[in-house]
Amino acid sequence: MRILAYTFRRLLAAIPVLLGVSVLAFLISHAIPGDPARLIVGPKASKEAVEAIRKEHGLDRPLPVQYLHFLGGLLTGDLGRSIRNHRPVTEDLADYFPATLELTLASLVLCLSVGIPLGILAAVRRNRFADHAARVVSVVGVSTPVFWLGLMLLLLFYRHLSWLPGSGRLDVTSAPPAGVTGLYVVDAVLAGNWPLLREAVSHLILPAFCLSYVYLAIITRIVRSSMIAVLGQDYITTARANGLSAGRVVFKHAFKNSLIPTVTIVGLSLGELLGGAILTETIFAWPGMGKYVVDSVNALDFPAIMGFTLVASTAYVAINLGVDVLYAFLNPRIRY
Amino acid sequence: MRIWSLVCCLVLVLTVSVAHAADKDTLVVSVPSDIHTLDPGVSSDNYDWRQIYPCYDRLVKYKVENGKGSTEVEPMAAESWTVSPDGLVWTFKIKKGIAFDDGTPLDAEAVRYSLDRTLAIGKGPADNIGAIASMKVVDPQTLEVTLKNPYGPFLQTLATDGASIVNPKTAAKAVGDDKAQAWLAENVDGSGPFKVTEWTRGQRCVLEAKPNYWGGAPTIKKVIIRFMPESADRRMALEKGDVDIAENILIDQLPALEKNPDIVVHRFPAQMTEYVYVNCQNKKLADPRVRQALSYAVDYKGIIDQVLQGNGMQMRGPIPQGMWGHREDVFQYSQDAAKAKELLKAAGAENLELTLIYSERRATWEQIAQVMQANLADIGVKLKLELMSNPTLRDKIDKGDFELCLGAWSPDFADPYMFMNFWFDSKNAGLPGNRSFYKNDKVDELVRKAAGLSDVAERKKLYSEAQDIIMQDAPYIFLYQIQTIVPMRKDVKGYVFNPMLESMYNFETISKN
Repeated sequence: MRILAYTFRRLLAAIPVLLGVSVLAFLISHAIPGDPARLIVGPKASKEAVEAIRKEHGLDRPLPVQYLHFLGGLLTGDLGRSIRNHRPVTEDLADYFPATLELTLASLVLCLSVGIPLGILAAVRRNRFADHAARVVSVVGVSTPVFWLGLMLLLLFYRHLSWLPGSGRLDVTSAPPAGVTGLYVVDAVLAGNWPLLREAVSHLILPAFCLSYVYLAIITRIVRSSMIAVLGQDYITTARANGLSAGRVVFKHAFKNSLIPTVTIVGLSLGELLGGAILTETIFAWPGMGKYVVDSVNALDFPAIMGFTLVASTAYVAINLGVDVLYAFLNPRIRY
Repeated sequence: MRIWSLVCCLVLVLTVSVAHAADKDTLVVSVPSDIHTLDPGVSSDNYDWRQIYPCYDRLVKYKVENGKGSTEVEPMAAESWTVSPDGLVWTFKIKKGIAFDDGTPLDAEAVRYSLDRTLAIGKGPADNIGAIASMKVVDPQTLEVTLKNPYGPFLQTLATDGASIVNPKTAAKAVGDDKAQAWLAENVDGSGPFKVTEWTRGQRCVLEAKPNYWGGAPTIKKVIIRFMPESADRRMALEKGDVDIAENILIDQLPALEKNPDIVVHRFPAQMTEYVYVNCQNKKLADPRVRQALSYAVDYKGIIDQVLQGNGMQMRGPIPQGMWGHREDVFQYSQDAAKAKELLKAAGAENLELTLIYSERRATWEQIAQVMQANLADIGVKLKLELMSNPTLRDKIDKGDFELCLGAWSPDFADPYMFMNFWFDSKNAGLPGNRSFYKNDKVDELVRKAAGLSDVAERKKLYSEAQDIIMQDAPYIFLYQIQTIVPMRKDVKGYVFNPMLESMYNFETISKN
């Protein structure tokens, strides 16, 4: 019950946080010099045409009024229309967010399924070959520019070896599955379209690997160091002295206790990933949030910028809350 | 280890089948960015026009002569036309038998509705056909258009994307007074050879051919426009055969592409020009001698040979080669540091310090800015470089808040008006066209007079006279006109480049074999 009350309190506290973020995003985006109306009508348009567009999008009103109008719309689930393409921002977000979510989840699976075992291995075989190998993997991961890595992956696995398909979420000639969730892997399963599922998964591999590599490296390092700290503690020695098997000591007694720093890092990474990854998205022609928001900023598309900010900050708040709740499960001494 | 084996198995299973190239009936074009709208009454962007243009007919179209695109127009949906002696009233006869997909005939009313709609929306495309004062449907096949003033380029403006003929039934799709903008942004309703059947944001736009198109069924049944932001990615897909045409490949990747026997890299002289706006209202630059000195300082040949790797040609006068009104004998600046220094001395402008602003719109601009910095240092001018975002840059241009600025320009319709009147008429000061805030009463008089005439020889004479004055006043540093580079697979046949239709394709006559 306590944890439920805590969650409820945190959710309430999230409201002023989100409002604060939206005010900041609103002010900063409007501080960029430039006139979105001029960008819509084209440079050769007359002054009257520009004025008409400013009026149409309410850009001629004072900033506080524009902000209140945004808030009013927000209460009814209306984020306004994109200045660039005249489309409701909610529809744009519904198109771009699932792509980001799908890529993020795939990267997360890769990160955890490789990063955690590698970190444990490195800790258990400290200063032996496995440890050195894991260190090389992480140092390379942290220091490889994503842009270069993405291109090299495409060049090798797509261009030369033909093992994996090129960029995009599907093959050039394939139409996307009927949208239920917008996650192609899930939608393909729901539609029972197995060839499309295979296509969607194979298109995910390279971008997910590229995106996860940096985080994978960090997670490996964190798991390793927290495992080493835990493995050195008295209760582990006691467990060993009591004749427990090595596997039981490591996985049952040591691993769970070393998870807190890992969960923290994973939570932070996840929040960051959900905001989109502009470089990976660009190289792999992945229609996610990163590219969407950069294009929006370039076009001074205020409703789109605000919509993105809202989604990204909500994701951060939700993930942080999830991480805090998880702490209590991992360590019963933590109480809220 | 179990996880590892699982991952390996998964990869093996998945890699059995890898994308197959499109068949002969499908043309795939990879382009750098998504489109914004499908509404011809709204878009001022060639990337949007690429999809819109083949879905609609217009009164006139650009001629194709011996497989080459020309800037002259010929009838399309119009059968013929006449113009009153004062150049004000144009009467168009519309071809019989053209219909929209739902059977609604393309008649005089449809044309009136479409042009009227574009004008009423009042966005970019409306400016091109802004000369229209009123329209009258005389009978179903006859439309009478009255202009505000005699306007030389009028016929050319009817070949622009904004003059596309939309099914008048779309009026029923309007929400409030939006003139069906919300609906036409996502759908097409024209009588052209193609229609858009799918647009997945950030991924692709699919056009399907209409087998019963009145002008003949296209050979290609389906066109897929694939959005791929990264140049290297587009290049790989082209080399693999997953795409047939790859747009905007970076210049430094071309030599390698050209060595591939399956690829042809087409190069065409384009009407796109790049130049430097010299703010004539700025005190430091008000003296024409200072502006001339700047024009003498630049190493045009070095920029074209090194930065553009030969993919360009120095401009001679403001009207690019390939557009009527271009003069091969007009004065052209070339690098002459001694002369530039002399001019600065005579103008009392030694120890000049200037700032050049530019954006990231072109990959080459950073290098060009640096070359200019070195060139100006040679004549004793200290040049500061300032890179900024495109919206900020445009804002500064519009307000005249700059000294020098790198820019690009391409004409919307095939008439020297696009250069001479936009660039030099003081009425257009600021972003609309006269971005150097140049004002010369004689030039104003000449270009305005030329715009109001329809006699080409007479207009040529007036523009020619204006060009001589302009070259002496040097309100811009005329750098180069670029080449359009279109790499494609060897089996793509029948592509016709038209300098007026940059980034656009004649899908209806392209084939693959």
